[in-house]
Amino acid sequence: MMGHLETDMADAVRTAPATVASVRDLKVHFAAKRGVVHAVDGVSFDIRDGETLGLVGETGCGKSVTGRSFLRLLPVPPGILAGGSVTFRPHALCEDCDGAGCDACGCTGRKAVVCPSCRGQGCATCDGTGAETIDLLKIDTETLRKLRGDRVAMIFQDPGKALNPTLTIGQQVAEVFLQHRTDELIELAGLSPETGGALRRFARQDHRFGDGILLSLPPFRGQRRRIQAALDKMVARALAETQVPNPASLMDRYPHELSGGMRQRVMIAQALACNPDLLIADEPTTALDVTVEARILELIRDLQMRRRSSVLYISHDLSLVRRICDRVAVMYAGRVVEIGPTAEVFRNPRHPYTRGLLAAVPTADTPRGGLAAIKGTVPELVDPPAACRFAGRCRHETEACRRFDPTLEPVSETHAVACFIDHPAPEGDQPSFERITE
Amino acid sequence: MSAAPDPHPTPASRPDRAVLSLKGVKKHFPIREGAFQRVTGWVRAVDGVSFDIRPGETVGLVGESGCGKSTLGRCVSGLTDVTAGGVYFDLPAEASRLLDNIASGTATDAEKARVAQIEAAHRIDRLQGAGYKRFRRNCQMVFQDSFASLNPRHLVVDIVGRSLRVYKEASGTELTERVVELLEQVGMGRQHLYRYPHQFSGGQRQRISIARALATNPDVIILDEPTSALDVSVQAQILNLLSDLQKQHNLAYLFITHDLSVVRHMADRLVVMYLGKVSEAGVTSDVFDAPHHPYTRALMEAKPDIEGAASEQAQGLDGVVPDPARPPRGCRFHTRCHMATPSCGWEVDDVIRRLEDIPGLFDALSGVERKSDFAASLTFGDAAAAERLVSILDSDGIPAAMRSAMGRLERRDRTVSVAFDEVPDVDLRITEPGRVASCVLSPIEVFQGVNE
Ligand SMILES: Nc1ncnc2c1ncn2[C@@H]1O[C@H](COP(=O)(O)OP(=O)(O)OP(=O)(O)O)[C@@H](O)[C@H]1O
Ligand SMILES: Nc1ncnc2c1ncn2[C@@H]1O[C@H](COP(=O)(O)OP(=O)(O)OP(=O)(O)O)[C@@H](O)[C@H]1O
Ligand code: SF4
Ligand code: SF4
Ligand SMILES: [Mg+2]
Ligand SMILES: [Mg+2]
Ligand SMILES: [Zn+2]
Ligand SMILES: [Zn+2]
Repeated sequence: MMGHLETDMADAVRTAPATVASVRDLKVHFAAKRGVVHAVDGVSFDIRDGETLGLVGETGCGKSVTGRSFLRLLPVPPGILAGGSVTFRPHALCEDCDGAGCDACGCTGRKAVVCPSCRGQGCATCDGTGAETIDLLKIDTETLRKLRGDRVAMIFQDPGKALNPTLTIGQQVAEVFLQHRTDELIELAGLSPETGGALRRFARQDHRFGDGILLSLPPFRGQRRRIQAALDKMVARALAETQVPNPASLMDRYPHELSGGMRQRVMIAQALACNPDLLIADEPTTALDVTVEARILELIRDLQMRRRSSVLYISHDLSLVRRICDRVAVMYAGRVVEIGPTAEVFRNPRHPYTRGLLAAVPTADTPRGGLAAIKGTVPELVDPPAACRFAGRCRHETEACRRFDPTLEPVSETHAVACFIDHPAPEGDQPSFERITE
Repeated sequence: MSAAPDPHPTPASRPDRAVLSLKGVKKHFPIREGAFQRVTGWVRAVDGVSFDIRPGETVGLVGESGCGKSTLGRCVSGLTDVTAGGVYFDLPAEASRLLDNIASGTATDAEKARVAQIEAAHRIDRLQGAGYKRFRRNCQMVFQDSFASLNPRHLVVDIVGRSLRVYKEASGTELTERVVELLEQVGMGRQHLYRYPHQFSGGQRQRISIARALATNPDVIILDEPTSALDVSVQAQILNLLSDLQKQHNLAYLFITHDLSVVRHMADRLVVMYLGKVSEAGVTSDVFDAPHHPYTRALMEAKPDIEGAASEQAQGLDGVVPDPARPPRGCRFHTRCHMATPSCGWEVDDVIRRLEDIPGLFDALSGVERKSDFAASLTFGDAAAAERLVSILDSDGIPAAMRSAMGRLERRDRTVSVAFDEVPDVDLRITEPGRVASCVLSPIEVFQGVNE
């Protein structure tokens, strides 16, 4: 098998503007009775500062697993992180303007954290950028816990599973604030920033033995109530942003009492609550109708404007991706098969799978039952052979496609594709879009 | 044809019937509060919905998130009991007319007896024994949330084959082979038989749900967002599959979705819901060509289109979705409608909603004395605050329609009295043969977007 991302490739994916996150040769396998499932098998891409990167592809191709890897939220076992890295460059309050917004931080009030090992000079750990670079797959769990929900947030695909059925909606959203916004909470409650001890622990929700008694005593009782009231206010505000009806009464309800779309909006509120630098949105609006969807997209866009946050937008709604994403990566069977600026990929798709996807969208005049589905199903990813993974379903495949494994290579400065149509196989018959071979 | 009556007549073979008929279906959930979990109100999730699903047709059901689509689906498939109204299975047209007539008038004793008879034979919560079994087999459901609907401890072969075993249609290797066949119909295969749901991606699980629904060869399937979790090529396969199956077996579908491209492609007729009620219904292409309700129009305008320009910004609806526990009077959409008129149901709550957005003023409010939904006195801490409300209600910040519906707006010291013209609730009316909409405006006015 050929190595991924040799030099020219690196130029195509790793490009000029600062990157918030880079996925390099990520491999996630699942141990199953039949063998090892290569769910994600050498995925590489960058997410640039402030951009929305779309991630599309067939059901089961590894989009969610890729997204969850950012926060190490994989079921281990059976999941195995078989290789690669996911690096992240956190932002912090800009010290030049103290968050007000200045030229140095592009008016966002936030700037990349300076690399601690080279003090911004550029070294190997930060890839010469001078910005602190964290390998999310290697850091200890405590550091990860601090980043999770705060600097990197995720909206999960399945709200039914991601929300805790035994906690009320209010409690679950509150958790984010309690973990990451203790200071703000104490300030909003009108208490002095020097507040310490049991109250601070209460605000952070890490109770210690004896705190309960202490907090029930008069001077603390009132303050504790104020914290609770401040917290309720923060939660209600976060929920109201997503346009759920009557957020105050929603807070006392349990997930099963909500409609699918309302659950999804609760998760969105949770994810946006702390203004993350990087938002992994795994099909955030699939359960929402178009008018609410438009509103959610506005919220995400607003976050991007204010904070230059970056978004990895996992979706299968191509019309939506086309509208909101700056770049798009198309995945198939655990690999990225095409990546480039959205407009270019939609105008001139270079991978037969991408073309198949675009053709399958129902339009006004497609006759019922006559949608152009791609024939066949995704191959089993147990010990995949050295061949193009789309072979067997591709309308243009030749014997070369069954003998060699195409790698992602540039077709223009910004656009790359993994197919022998644009990059001939080492030997054999070259496929072409002009020739239908099925 | 044999002379003996078919012992298991399927609705499919009789087009003069509705496979499923909804008559004034309501489903209200209690809101409980406090230590004793006292019921303090009701979420009116579904609030009087009527329509038919005929053999072999697809009825699309769309509407805002939380408007009651899934709840309606669960009522229709008998998974939840209804609060009021009824769902009828395999209802002959004649019986349907009789039920409608009696609902709108008084009945003779003979008619009452006939109604009882119809209900025992067709109303799904009255069915018993063989009749109930027939309904269960013939009405299947595919859920929105495949995580919640597939038992995590069961193997695929058991999940898909369960009803075959329950109805004793197959066992042993025959059962396994039937399951393989069903899996192949949804683009999966033998290799998936002995796995658990969590080992599949969201889309694969949805295919398993569809295979399970197909197992009993039903007459009608309630599909609650069946392809929302799928990528477009698998969606295309599933939609093609669903329409093939429909042609082969004359299957009917209730297709719940919020994907307008999908519903346009799949549905013969379309029902649009807003806050528990039907706001518009009609032949799908007609509704798409010219919506008769401003809400439908807003939906169509927000729809992202693969064919349109990429830069196009979708237009969301302003304002929050009203609380289904306290739906707006008149027309339920009036709080967000761009075309609202003075006769759309402006009420005291509209004043309160506006007050809530003005923090200082809302805090100054010390009491509300309601005379009705349409008239009330609001008392403030001081006269200045009361005067501020009056001037706000009299300004351009308030929709012109709301202002002109305000029959009275007076301040006496710290108290503001407002009264709106009382209007009846806006009901569905026929706008065109085969089309209904619940809007005071005519279809042409909706088309032109008058009061914009
Ligand atoms: N817990 C698990 N155990 C075993 N295999 C798993 C597990 N979770 C995921 N997989 C496998 O990993 C692959 C990728 O799954 P993933 O959820 O990332 O797909 P996806 O691209 O998000 O699909 P969808 O569009 O349906 O959400 C699938 O083939 C699935 O079978
Ligand atoms: N078990 C329950 N208890 C209390 N309220 C409920 C329950 N189930 C649903 N509701 C409420 O009923 C309303 C309608 O919910 P439903 O799930 O039918 O909406 P939906 O139209 O399917 O929305 P979506 O598109 O988001 O799935 C919502 O306000 C919801 O909160
Ligand atoms: S490499 Fe061959 S099989 Fe693979 S996508 Fe290209 S033409 Fe099709
Ligand atoms: S009745 Fe028609 S115009 Fe009036 S608020 Fe309702 S939808 Fe709008
Ligand atoms: Mg997924
Ligand atoms: Mg629903
Ligand atoms: Zn600055
Ligand atoms: Zn460095």
